[in-house]
Amino acid sequence: MKNFCLNLWSRVGLTAVATLALNACAPGQDTPTPTIGVNVSRYLAVGDSYTAGLSAGGLTLASQEYSFPNLLAQQLRGAQADATFSQPLLPAGAGSGYFNLVDFTALGFPRTRRVPGPAVRRQVINPAACGGADTVRLLTRTDAPNTLPQNLGVPGLRLGQIEVAGLGNETTNATPTGNFNPYFERLLPAADPRTYLQAVTDAAAPATFFTYFMGLDEVLVYVRSGGECGPTLNTAYNTLLKNNAKKVLDKLTAGGRPGIIARLPDLNTLPLLRLGQGRNLEKRLQTSFADTASLYIQDPFGTVGMRITDASYVLATTIPRIGRLTPVVVGTTTLMLPYGRDIRNPIRDADVMDYDEMSRINDVVSRYNTALNDLATTTYKMPIIDSSTKSSTLDLNVAMPDYVGSAISVGGVLYSAEPVRGNFFSLDYYTPTPRGNALIANAFISAINKAYKANIPAIDANSLPSVAQ
Amino acid sequence: MRARLLFLLPFFSGLTAAASGFDTCPQGARVLGLGGASTAYIGSIAGLSVNPGLLSQWGDSLTRISLGGFGQIRRSSFIGQDTYKRTDQDLTVLPGGYFYATRAVSKRVSVGLAITSPYGYHTKWPENWEGRSVIQESQLNTYFAQPTVGFKLNDNFSAGVGFVYAYGKYSQRHALGQYDAANTSYQLSSSGSGYGVNVGLYGRSGDNLAFGISYRSGVQLKMNNGTISTSGVPARDAGLYPASANFKTQINLPSTLSVGLADRITKNLLLTFDFTLSGWSTLDSLKLDVAASGTAPAQRLNTARRYEDALAFRVGAEYQASPKLTLLGGLNYDESPIRDEYINPEFIDANRLGASAGLSYQLTPRFALEGAYSFSYGQQRLARANPLNATVSNVGGSYRTATSTASIGLAVAF
Repeated sequence: MKNFCLNLWSRVGLTAVATLALNACAPGQDTPTPTIGVNVSRYLAVGDSYTAGLSAGGLTLASQEYSFPNLLAQQLRGAQADATFSQPLLPAGAGSGYFNLVDFTALGFPRTRRVPGPAVRRQVINPAACGGADTVRLLTRTDAPNTLPQNLGVPGLRLGQIEVAGLGNETTNATPTGNFNPYFERLLPAADPRTYLQAVTDAAAPATFFTYFMGLDEVLVYVRSGGECGPTLNTAYNTLLKNNAKKVLDKLTAGGRPGIIARLPDLNTLPLLRLGQGRNLEKRLQTSFADTASLYIQDPFGTVGMRITDASYVLATTIPRIGRLTPVVVGTTTLMLPYGRDIRNPIRDADVMDYDEMSRINDVVSRYNTALNDLATTTYKMPIIDSSTKSSTLDLNVAMPDYVGSAISVGGVLYSAEPVRGNFFSLDYYTPTPRGNALIANAFISAINKAYKANIPAIDANSLPSVAQ
Repeated sequence: MRARLLFLLPFFSGLTAAASGFDTCPQGARVLGLGGASTAYIGSIAGLSVNPGLLSQWGDSLTRISLGGFGQIRRSSFIGQDTYKRTDQDLTVLPGGYFYATRAVSKRVSVGLAITSPYGYHTKWPENWEGRSVIQESQLNTYFAQPTVGFKLNDNFSAGVGFVYAYGKYSQRHALGQYDAANTSYQLSSSGSGYGVNVGLYGRSGDNLAFGISYRSGVQLKMNNGTISTSGVPARDAGLYPASANFKTQINLPSTLSVGLADRITKNLLLTFDFTLSGWSTLDSLKLDVAASGTAPAQRLNTARRYEDALAFRVGAEYQASPKLTLLGGLNYDESPIRDEYINPEFIDANRLGASAGLSYQLTPRFALEGAYSFSYGQQRLARANPLNATVSNVGGSYRTATSTASIGLAVAF
């Protein structure tokens, strides 16, 4: 349009007719040309659920296509046309199965139903898993198992597991108690004993650029179980996380390969915790029940009830059960008391991340983030992303909506931690929607632009769907 | 003579920004050609709406009528701050018209009527543009009716006072981008009226120099009949966005203080200068008082505008090319009332530099045809959107605006 107008101008000259025609066009502005100072022709994404594109508790073809690395790769292609990106795509359809919205409860919380996954070919059940029986669903293999994909995101991959031999070997490890990840298994040829670290090593060799966003699934094991499951949080664990991160990053940064390392966001930005923040939840329940009952949790050092504080977080998955009448033995009689809303029927410890558990896991996250930052700055000498903090790692908190009730506004649309209505997080209270992925990809783009003298356009997140299926 | 005008220079050079909010254009083909510098210009009775003090200058035995129409195309282009996507506004033509009549009722008193459409805009962005959840279309139309009385104080001075009745219509719509469906829409429309006064003074010192000064009060358009309607909202959120609701609002139109000079340089050449201060700061915010509807409670939706007072400087030239043909030209520099922090795609404005040209052709001694064209171009404006301020709905990016206005009309005296 602009060129047409300018050509008209120069050709016809300053006649009145041309003036009128020109003015009917909007005034011209030059659009910046996407550029990048490093080679992104082969980008490798390493990480867990977020990187893989898990959404609403499931991986589907659509959710993979809206994974943040894939969205990022599409934007990179604007600056470098020959850039490629391959993903281990599932067949079209419901993939591994996912959560679907049924309706909203009177409290405004979504009720979901699990859509079965046609890609599930076998189930392995561990009845004795911590926190209740655990089902591992094996999935159809990727079309190209002999070539590792550039999106090496593996849902549920724990940082502590990266050197487990046979993590993706069905024959040896797909047992009820085996150390096994079905999403890793489907990336590899059958009976491949490689560890994840070996896979990263192999995939990194031809790569020219990387992103690293790993560790969230590791700490989520503890969070999801209300602090009941997962490894003991101690110094040895902190060292393990740091060392394993370094092992992966050593491969990724080998030969000075450029990339972006993302730190973990604050765990209480995730709706799994944020929705259940002590007094906020109490107030919300009081409003919807139209009463003044307090919210009680088990004292972490005993079994008596205590009123919740803002430092403790009820898991969002528990919230629909609060206030339901459950039998409680009081003295010699059994009473039906509302769960969590009576001091004699407090929310059990496994449903709450209490202040003690929160501070322990936050300490792990904070030490891990510091370790990543030290590695990026000191060991790998990566360019600075945030000049105010002299940090060479990406702080993802900037992309996340902050608090329930408050929100971020993007192009006139509000994003908050509420699932569904908040647009950012999907129905599993943890992974992002396509729009959330776009905002995360934009945070990576912004980091790339700062670190690598690039000029990559961001994604209009509002133009993407709010559900991945 | 020219040295006397030098006092204006500090004002002119001191201006840093340019365009005058949602002023449409000078209300008359001839004054449009003159760049709008008509506070001390008696060549057309269209000056009536700017300065009632001019009225007695047409206090001879003739009845004068001037009427015409104009069309304005105001278009902006936008480039997203982060997305680099360019969007051009859709082409819209804002129509308008004017009607003036004057007649003397005695040697000293004249009466006149001015019907004009001085403020308005029509912003239309493509349906699926980046800021569709902020605004897709917004329209304001105003009509002013101003009965005026003019008094001849003596041979050299005259004064006038007018009563302004204003009627305005406002509508806007935007998408509800939180929903995936492309056809979700939130629209509001309202209309209302308000009153104001307009006073002015005109004087001559010697044969060649005239001056004018006028003040028009601000007008508050009170709109009590507003309706909001939404469509495409999923049933689960019907309580958040009821299908319809009523609201009240008020739109404040600015006061204007104008000072003008007209200087006859030669027998055939007249120069005019105007200096106008528009009191846009009364437009502080757009407040919609929405009544309760269904389960949705009554609420006040407040959008900050924080306009600031704005200056405009205009200069015009009238040249008598032949006994029948008069040529007109003008330049104007308008300051924008919109601060950088409050640039919003609903109405894009910038400091503008404009030029205009026009002519008046006397078909018979009592009947003239007038036509004019004006073009103005705005500075680039950069809008920053802060995602962390969730109460402000905006998109970040850069805007450029160009405005074209054409007007034709008739002037009759009998």
